[in-house]
Amino acid sequence: MSPRSSLRTHGYAPVHGVAPVRSGTAPANGITGSLAARDVTLAYDGRVVCDGLSVDIPDGEFTAIIGPNGCGKSTLLKSLARILTPTRGQVLLDDRPIRSYGSKQVARRVALLPQSPVAPDAIRVGDLVGRGRYPYHSLWRQWTPDDQDAIDTALALTGTAELSQRYVTELSGGQRRRVWVAMVLAQQAPTLLLDEPTTFLDIAHQYELLELCATLQRDGRTVVAVLHDLNQAARFAGHLVMMKEGRIVAEGPPGEILTAELVEDVFGLRCEIVPDPQSRTPMMVPLVRDFGHEQVAALEDASGALQALDEALHTDQSEPRSRQ
Amino acid sequence: MHTSGSRIVRVGTSLAVPVRRRALVQGLAVVAALVAVGIATLTLGGLGIAPERLPAALIDIPGGSEGFVLKRLRGPRFVVAVATGAALGISGALFQTVTRNPLGSPDVIGLTAGAGAGAAAASLLLPGAVSVPAGAMLGAAGATVVVFVSTGRGFSSPSRLIIAGIGVSAMAVAFTQYVVMLQSRDQAAVLHAYLTGSLSARSWQNAAVIGGALAVLLPAAIALGRRLHLIEMGDELADALGGKAEQTRVWSIVVAIALSAAAVSVAGPIAFVSLTAPQITKRLSRTPGANVVLSALTGAFILAAADLCAQQVPVVEDLPVGVLTAGIGGLYLGYLLVREWKKGTV
Repeated sequence: MSPRSSLRTHGYAPVHGVAPVRSGTAPANGITGSLAARDVTLAYDGRVVCDGLSVDIPDGEFTAIIGPNGCGKSTLLKSLARILTPTRGQVLLDDRPIRSYGSKQVARRVALLPQSPVAPDAIRVGDLVGRGRYPYHSLWRQWTPDDQDAIDTALALTGTAELSQRYVTELSGGQRRRVWVAMVLAQQAPTLLLDEPTTFLDIAHQYELLELCATLQRDGRTVVAVLHDLNQAARFAGHLVMMKEGRIVAEGPPGEILTAELVEDVFGLRCEIVPDPQSRTPMMVPLVRDFGHEQVAALEDASGALQALDEALHTDQSEPRSRQ
Repeated sequence: MHTSGSRIVRVGTSLAVPVRRRALVQGLAVVAALVAVGIATLTLGGLGIAPERLPAALIDIPGGSEGFVLKRLRGPRFVVAVATGAALGISGALFQTVTRNPLGSPDVIGLTAGAGAGAAAASLLLPGAVSVPAGAMLGAAGATVVVFVSTGRGFSSPSRLIIAGIGVSAMAVAFTQYVVMLQSRDQAAVLHAYLTGSLSARSWQNAAVIGGALAVLLPAAIALGRRLHLIEMGDELADALGGKAEQTRVWSIVVAIALSAAAVSVAGPIAFVSLTAPQITKRLSRTPGANVVLSALTGAFILAAADLCAQQVPVVEDLPVGVLTAGIGGLYLGYLLVREWKKGTV
């Protein structure tokens, strides 16, 4: 994981306010990235989902896109992968409009795993992963010497090498999701866009997949994932993009931007932000509506105790984020 | 495409194509079966060329009755059967992949029913002015245009395509039945034979039409085949991999329609080949995706074998081959499906 701010900068008292809404076309907050959207309007059949949105995807970082259902997270991801053409504005890849690249050229730079890809029937894992090599092929060259290496690496990274001769349809949900990730890895694109990669996975497989994303980011890839779980996003991602109704409400490191006010503004959910006892990243604890004042007070006491405990731990532990 | 059971066929540095061993074996087996059907077509029956004289007859075409059988009677008929079957097989493979529906075929988008209605209209309304095959072509084109317009999105939305196709089919079938009722018994019988699809009395001219269509459209279908592999995984993923889903879909449908229209023009609306050939291919080769070449070979075999039976099995005199394709293809597909259900792989 990337170095992140220490616990003290993100106690449960809001340190920073809600980051200003980005507007205009200039890149804001000094983020540089090879992939960026500039003032894009995104629409399906005339129904506008995002209007005048700008975002920079930081290179080499794990970015999580978070927001309520229907706020335009997936739509933004599709436009970054050039699947959806903005009706206004530009998506830029290395400061050039992404439309000016060939479709295979883009596929060699940016890989997208959609929310629900369809596994063809009677396909083996190795063959499915091999389809990720399409951007490197032509009509006459349907095989390149690098193919086998790329496929083997992708299978090894996702721990699916021993499944390569199995049919995709006979795998469990967790295995299948890893195989799909292997397919986009075989594409060998430096930027990976994953649309809700943890949805429909049980809790252990969710963490397995997030750890895989973190590993990929450590290996130098840029990872962008649409996630639903705020705590998982805060724990694994170094950069958070919070969206609401087609706009970006806040973006930055989770420890700097994640506040109770922001969560209430974006999700309409009252909550406390406390440090995660293990990773020290911000952790959101929802306040259930029926809680009376006493319970809230008790919760505040408890979180005060937690912080004290955490500070004690912090002085002991030199490697706060290690999981073992 | 690379890790299981495939070899890379390389020519120089610019050509490298992975070929599956199983697919290669299957392809060669179907070719051998086709050759056997061809020999049987030319040698069986009272007019058949004696088997020992066949090689010499093929090299140096004799005169007399043998020459007549080879040049006029059975030679063109067999060639038309092979090429038409291949065209229908490819057309079905493209349709089924593009619509992600195992029942996808030119029948589903109303093309076959439109051809029937066109043929019926030609024989009833304008007898003599328009030939029945030309009427069928016009009918097929008309039905395709109506479907294209009524989806509102052209060919890019498979579900709308199927619904519009079913509607157009129903109307075309109703019209055809109305025409058949109006006609005298003899005329109705002739029309009915055409509507079932027949290969009797085909000429080299017919063979040139379907062969020419195949020569142009088979390479196009092969070129689209790889992108169709990507469409199978969903349009978004296909686009993300650089496979241009929508463009691929529209072109595949155009190629499929052109192939089945060419098939209709030479053999009438033959049912079931485009539906069963890709399914049989898929089940035998156990590979995903549109297997364009294998589907073409399987389609060719089904139609040639059905036509051989139509000529040689003395159940009904001059049985239209369309009746038998449904029988042969349908039975075999049924057998494969039952076997899969028993194994629990469906």
